[in-house]
Amino acid sequence: MANTSRLYLTCIRNTLEAAMCLQNFPCQEVERHNKPEVELKTSPELLLNPVLICRNEAEKCLIDSSINSLRISLKVKQADELENILTKKFLRFLSMRAEAFQVLRRKPVQGYDISFLVTNYHCEEMQKHKLIDFIVQFMEDIDKEISELKLSVNTRGRLVATEFLKQFI
Amino acid sequence: MAAVSVHQFAQCITCHAWSPDHSMIALCPNNNEVHIYRLSEDDKWEKIHVLQKHDQIVSGVDWSISSNRIVTVSHDRNSYVWNQETTEWVPTLVILRLNRAALCVQWSPKENKFAVGSGAKTVCICYYEQENNWWVSKLIRKRHDSSVTSVAWHPNNILLATTSTDGKCRVFSTFIKGVDTRDSTGSSADSKFGEQIMQIDLSFCWAFGIKWSPSGNTFAYVGHNSMIYFVDDVGPSPSAQSVAFRDLPLRDVLFISERMVIGVGFDCNPMVFTADERGLWSFLRFLDERKIVSSSARYGSQVATE
Repeated sequence: MANTSRLYLTCIRNTLEAAMCLQNFPCQEVERHNKPEVELKTSPELLLNPVLICRNEAEKCLIDSSINSLRISLKVKQADELENILTKKFLRFLSMRAEAFQVLRRKPVQGYDISFLVTNYHCEEMQKHKLIDFIVQFMEDIDKEISELKLSVNTRGRLVATEFLKQFI
Repeated sequence: MAAVSVHQFAQCITCHAWSPDHSMIALCPNNNEVHIYRLSEDDKWEKIHVLQKHDQIVSGVDWSISSNRIVTVSHDRNSYVWNQETTEWVPTLVILRLNRAALCVQWSPKENKFAVGSGAKTVCICYYEQENNWWVSKLIRKRHDSSVTSVAWHPNNILLATTSTDGKCRVFSTFIKGVDTRDSTGSSADSKFGEQIMQIDLSFCWAFGIKWSPSGNTFAYVGHNSMIYFVDDVGPSPSAQSVAFRDLPLRDVLFISERMVIGVGFDCNPMVFTADERGLWSFLRFLDERKIVSSSARYGSQVATE
């Protein structure tokens, strides 16, 4: 199990190292503006082919790159209904605080759970390999977090039920 | 071989140009100013001038060798030519007639013209009009499908090569009546202004960093697909070579001699390419020892060697 996760993360890391070659590029459509081309999508020649890395049907990662920006969208493994609800709530909590993360996108791309938007300005202020480390670490931590949350929900549920039903003994 | 000397001028440098005697360097520290530093005797760089006129980031700077003028272009669609009067640098506005950002600039070999590549998919050739005492531009329009990322002059002062984000490299004639003299022997003898001499479509990704060799017989440019292209015998029957490498793409090149080219790019390690006696180009080595941790992610801009 851990073996495939290592391969999946290494693949994503290598793709990000190639895709994160960003540079400052002023907008071709609007004068004096500088917009992330991957979000604008008006000039197809400035976009690179999107890369989809799938671990299985439930887990995948879409990497959309352009000349000055990069979008990484993740679909996190959700085994049952409870994990579904937990993932949605947890990632919504993070996305609403996107300013604190700087590279996080406020809304995930359609069909995915969470998205990152890295621009050339992020690469100028921060180091590229550290950004990649952050994203890969994030992916590892998400799985751990969701499992912990699920465990604590089940534990709490069991405790509450035991306490409640004691009165009927 | 490690770097000869390392000096941190700013967190990010957008573009730079050496002074004619290589004692000073003009650079843009990723904002709307141009800082000029001078190397003092005890090997320290001191900031001597700050050129402040642009509203947005300065994307290109070039320092002419014989006439000691600096030209700067910026994302705010403007360009200034700076002349040194006693101790101050005085700007002169250039009417570029651009409606998008300017991306790159280079003085022509005779320094009577300069070329500006822009995001408006045009190239401006500017020359000085003595009667009106200002710089006037002529545009090369409708030739490029996307932003012009890099321009380079041929030693004959007439041919100009450009690269663009549409992946193509084009060579134009920029003959201007009254500024250039007809060279009866040159191949560009009967070409008009803006006429496209050649179009090279080798890269399927964005093209950057074009430079001519010192003789003007060859030019080299890089593509974002981690390849470097060399075109020899520029003229009616050019021959092209491409060298692919496994590392991250290059961003700019420099001809050290007729047979040696240095490329810099996203690997933060300059690569040396050489041509053997038969004219076949190949990768020779990296200039720096391979570092495990790379420094800032900005691509390195070219540095002229002494």
